[in-house]
Amino acid sequence: MSRSIRQRRAEDAAAPSSTHCPGPSGDPLQRGTRRSFMRMGIAGFASLSLPGMLRLRAASPTAQQAKTAVIMVWQPGGCSHIDTYDPKPLAGTEYRGPFGRIATKVPGMQFTELLPRQAAIADKFTVLRSMHQTAGGHPAGSMQLLSGDSDTRDKPKPRLPDWMSVANYLRSNDPAGNDPERRNPLPRYVGINPPTQYNGPAYLGDAYSPFAVTGDPNSPDFVVPNIGLTDSHQVRRLNRRVDLRQKLDDLSRAFDEYGQAGTLDEFESQAMALLTNPETKQAFDLSQEDDATRDRYGRNTWGQQLLLARRLVEAGVEVLTSSLRGPLCGRVQNWDDHAVNHHVFDALRFRAAAYDQAVTALIEDIHERGLQDRVLVVVTGEFGRTPKISHQPSTGAGNASAPAGTQQPGRDHWPRAFSNLWAGGGIQPGQCIGATDRRGEDVIERHCGPGDFLATLYHHLGIDASNVFLEDFNGRPTPIVDHGRPIKELMRST
Amino acid sequence: MRDDLSCRGPLLRAALRRVVGLLPMTIRLLKIRLSTIARSRGLGLMIGLLVTAPGLAGDVTGQPEFQGQPERPSPVGPSEQIDGDTPHFTNDIVPILTKAGCNTGVCHAKAGGGQNGFQLSLLGFEPDEDYDHLVREGRGRRLSPAAPDQSLLLLKATGRRPHGGGVRIEPDSIHYRQLHDWIAAGAPRGAADAPRLMSLEVQPPDEVLAKGASRQIRAIAHYSNDSERDVTSLALYESNQPAMLETSDSGRIDASDIPGKAAIMVRYQGHVAVYNAAIPAGATVAPLADPENVVDRFLFANLGKLGIPAASVCNDATFLRRATLDIAGRLPTVAEAESFLSSDDPERRRKRIDALLDSPDYADFFANKWTALLKNRRDDRSDITSNFAFHAWVRDSLLANQPYDQIVRQLLAATGTVIGNPPVAWYKRVKDPKQQIEDVAQLFLGVRMQCAQCHHHPFERWSQDDYYSLAAFFSQVGRKPTAVRGEDLIFHERGIAQTQNVKSGQWLRPAALGTDVGEIPAGEDPRLRLADWMSSADNPFFAKALVNRYWKHFFSIGLIEPEDDIRDTNPPTNPELLQALEQEFIASGFDLKQLIRVITTSRSYQLSSHTNELNRSDRQNYSHHYPTRLQAEVLLDAIDQLTGARTDFANLPIGTRAVALPDNSYNRSSPFLKVFGRPDSSSVCECERVQSASLAQSLHLLSASDIQNKLAFPGGRAERLSQSDGVSPENAVAELYLAAFGRYPSPSENDLAVHYLLEPRNDSDGKPLGTREARKQNLQDLIWALINTKEFMFNH
Repeated sequence: MSRSIRQRRAEDAAAPSSTHCPGPSGDPLQRGTRRSFMRMGIAGFASLSLPGMLRLRAASPTAQQAKTAVIMVWQPGGCSHIDTYDPKPLAGTEYRGPFGRIATKVPGMQFTELLPRQAAIADKFTVLRSMHQTAGGHPAGSMQLLSGDSDTRDKPKPRLPDWMSVANYLRSNDPAGNDPERRNPLPRYVGINPPTQYNGPAYLGDAYSPFAVTGDPNSPDFVVPNIGLTDSHQVRRLNRRVDLRQKLDDLSRAFDEYGQAGTLDEFESQAMALLTNPETKQAFDLSQEDDATRDRYGRNTWGQQLLLARRLVEAGVEVLTSSLRGPLCGRVQNWDDHAVNHHVFDALRFRAAAYDQAVTALIEDIHERGLQDRVLVVVTGEFGRTPKISHQPSTGAGNASAPAGTQQPGRDHWPRAFSNLWAGGGIQPGQCIGATDRRGEDVIERHCGPGDFLATLYHHLGIDASNVFLEDFNGRPTPIVDHGRPIKELMRST
Repeated sequence: MRDDLSCRGPLLRAALRRVVGLLPMTIRLLKIRLSTIARSRGLGLMIGLLVTAPGLAGDVTGQPEFQGQPERPSPVGPSEQIDGDTPHFTNDIVPILTKAGCNTGVCHAKAGGGQNGFQLSLLGFEPDEDYDHLVREGRGRRLSPAAPDQSLLLLKATGRRPHGGGVRIEPDSIHYRQLHDWIAAGAPRGAADAPRLMSLEVQPPDEVLAKGASRQIRAIAHYSNDSERDVTSLALYESNQPAMLETSDSGRIDASDIPGKAAIMVRYQGHVAVYNAAIPAGATVAPLADPENVVDRFLFANLGKLGIPAASVCNDATFLRRATLDIAGRLPTVAEAESFLSSDDPERRRKRIDALLDSPDYADFFANKWTALLKNRRDDRSDITSNFAFHAWVRDSLLANQPYDQIVRQLLAATGTVIGNPPVAWYKRVKDPKQQIEDVAQLFLGVRMQCAQCHHHPFERWSQDDYYSLAAFFSQVGRKPTAVRGEDLIFHERGIAQTQNVKSGQWLRPAALGTDVGEIPAGEDPRLRLADWMSSADNPFFAKALVNRYWKHFFSIGLIEPEDDIRDTNPPTNPELLQALEQEFIASGFDLKQLIRVITTSRSYQLSSHTNELNRSDRQNYSHHYPTRLQAEVLLDAIDQLTGARTDFANLPIGTRAVALPDNSYNRSSPFLKVFGRPDSSSVCECERVQSASLAQSLHLLSASDIQNKLAFPGGRAERLSQSDGVSPENAVAELYLAAFGRYPSPSENDLAVHYLLEPRNDSDGKPLGTREARKQNLQDLIWALINTKEFMFNH
């Protein structure tokens, strides 16, 4: 068996790289991987607990995946796919927009001129052009993509936990895995200006929400609260308090036998580590990076956000989300480029430089630091933007928006087709997967939905999405993903 | 080979559409339907339907599974078919598939087509569908009558062909032989008039089991032709207390060292039976001399039966803090503690309970509990009017001690607008009739009906007909939009109430969980009939659900757990006690305060949380008090009370306590409430409130600005005690202990704390601080430390 795998790998490597988006292929190696996952999952549920499953997994060759990490770069509001990763030069003027096309490092794959830096390193990542979902609103769209809820109606709160909370939950409740040995004081799940508006831990509870860092990491007075206190006076006082608390507890030991009490102490010492350990302070401290690196990401909010993301993941954070929003987006501070909000093309041009630079730097850096197998980077929004351009009066002047009342072009919500970018994670880079029709309106090749998106992320994190069920508030076992499976081309290839 | 590497959602849907001929929308429904398997909440997480995945336990421990075990009882073995030689699909084949775990929710009964496209119905509840899937689908490859051993079913199940589910059936087992013979016989469906399974019996039904004992129980199936069959090897077993009583797939049970009561649920073909075991601790326990009331009578009788000694009754300080927290949701004040501790009135505890029940704090605290369960949620800023009105209605009803059945009736049968009739707000939040009956059943009857919407309840007798005939009570709820955005006028729409069973297509008239409520004329609001049925004295659910819910409030652990999952297969740990309380509650006219009085005046409630060797492991018989963490609102109020600070909430009078907040919107403005798990009123289950510790909570307590601000609150306790010259360190410590714990400090605590208060302090530049400033900082530290002690964080 192993010999045939090696053979197959050699054949793969020898195969000429495809110049167009390849469809699915029946790679037996991949099938083998999937099956061994399934076996572990099934054995796990029969042994009646998650620990059982993870024990089996730990004994398997995929155990090293336990420390894998994901960085999700979020484009809130949705990026216009047709103006970026999926240009449609042959569509009519009412569709295609003003941007020219450029070649990328991957033969046959073109981007628009907005992304020259990413085009130049396109051999280091993979573009999926055939993502689609079915919800037209921001809440439902986000919930579809992040939690796999197929409901198309907008709800104020998510019904299902998002993949980040699920991953945090599963890894935190992993007594047989690497958890007890986890001495890393950093939280497992960190959000740097994270998307939290339309997602969350739902029935898993707030304990599994991100450790959220907000603000502008590019600002000279950027500080992360609750992290690595430097004021030794303050640290001494905290230590004194905790010490006093321990002594008082020792004097009335009524609760010794209650597990809960021990847990409290454990969290307190974790929190103290986070607060007073110099390592945590360093992990969040961008001044430790040399100027060249900081410049490379771009001396702006987004650039420094993504640099911080890389820094934290390198230091042991396992799930990291970062939302690219704020003034760099234009007047309404997100990617929701309706004509009433923004002149869509001005807006895309307005944010292109910072976006292109930050994402490029992140991908290159991940590779240069040897993180490309362990860390998966995905860049996406909840949907794309309507290929057919609409014209409406602006509702206000500002960056990328004409004075109120001025007709300007916009694009609306488009869940039927959009692109996302995948890098690292051991994925074969330089692929372009799937295709949309000639107007970028519908997927015509390699349909991938939210379930596939989520299963792919879970797969990288060593979670067999099809076999993990969590209990909702009613005690009903609810699958973490109820449809879809890992996108084969986006699964670890090494 | 199937193309199983593509993103297969659309492909699968297309395939299903072809095969089943359903519309895409229905397929989504189908998916949901098949994935909904309820299970009692226990482990926070589970992989698959635990109980229905037998077989692998054997693999894990290396024991052989179905054959050759000496203890296996089968004089009438599984090889014997009920109607002679021809195997019958429903009676003989489906049980084998169920036992092998093929049709669990994560395997071939998985939503959306089953694993790898082979679909079976959940736990074999739909044998006719299973027959078609097994025999007709898959181009006939699944079964090969000409060469039965080459049937895909057997190749996969035995692992001779790669199978994601692993080896489920051993080739030399009796089950394999039966499947083989059935296939060889042409895979017959079997006679339509074959005997039907009527009931399941477990032998013995109950017994006393010594600690560490093992025994074999048996499952006997009874059929319509009066025959019976030993199905021990085919039945499924699940323990409700795995720590106390373990069970194997073959029905072998092992008691652990933990004394108490445990049950094994035995299931076979949609029927359930329960085996009950009492495992005594072995100590001789003297009977209680003078029980205070029914609670003590039955609780101590149970302890005596189990040989578990009870803890002693707690001291006055512990009682005061416990009762004040449990009834009024707050700490006793310093004055209350001083006065209570110095009282020598023999009736002081009873009087205190009465005083607490009469206080508005009681109504605040319980309104907080009920409004969360009744989903008084602010989704939109404009909801505020209805949120406030609904909360006020609940609170006023509790304050005035409206009988519980009246409160529920007003809610269920509400008509009009929110302003005119606040309980209408429930219909604003809970709009779908299905959601309405699910909420009503779970909250007021302790019955979880969700499963039965889509399939026969896996652990219960509820069918889809039961579900839809309960939904029919709400089928005539009419709505009209009003001038106020988002508000509907609720009215009774004339007409004959009925709801369609989506599976059978049959229209069903209202029936209350199998009880006929009679013909309801078109002009009568059917919801009133439901309310009548609920509050009738012989309703088996209504009083029980409430009594159990309140019991849990005061004792941390319900007589039935989870508290809203009452079913035959989940027996109470002390049925006599539960029944006695139910009867008291009904006899009192559903008097909620009286119920609390009965519970809290009992000696049982007032037992100490201190344990000894013999009762330490007890977690279900209430031999001692089980401490619980203070809930978010109570903890915030307690911190305010101790620090002398206050928290301000939008749109509410200054000084409003967190337990008096009307809705969930304050969770957004108060990070404290969110971090400490105040529920968002989105579930009818109390479990939405998360009481467990987290890193975020510890970080919050250590360094969040709101905590720091409370410690340094202008005019707060630290400032006051450091600035009045008359307060000695000893007095300051005594006041802090009274405020935090309702007791005086012990001498060693006093020494430690006083010593700390007198320590000199430097400022951040290393210069010594003045006495007053140093004292203030030390007081802040001491208060912080007290807040973070277990004694403070827990109600004990």
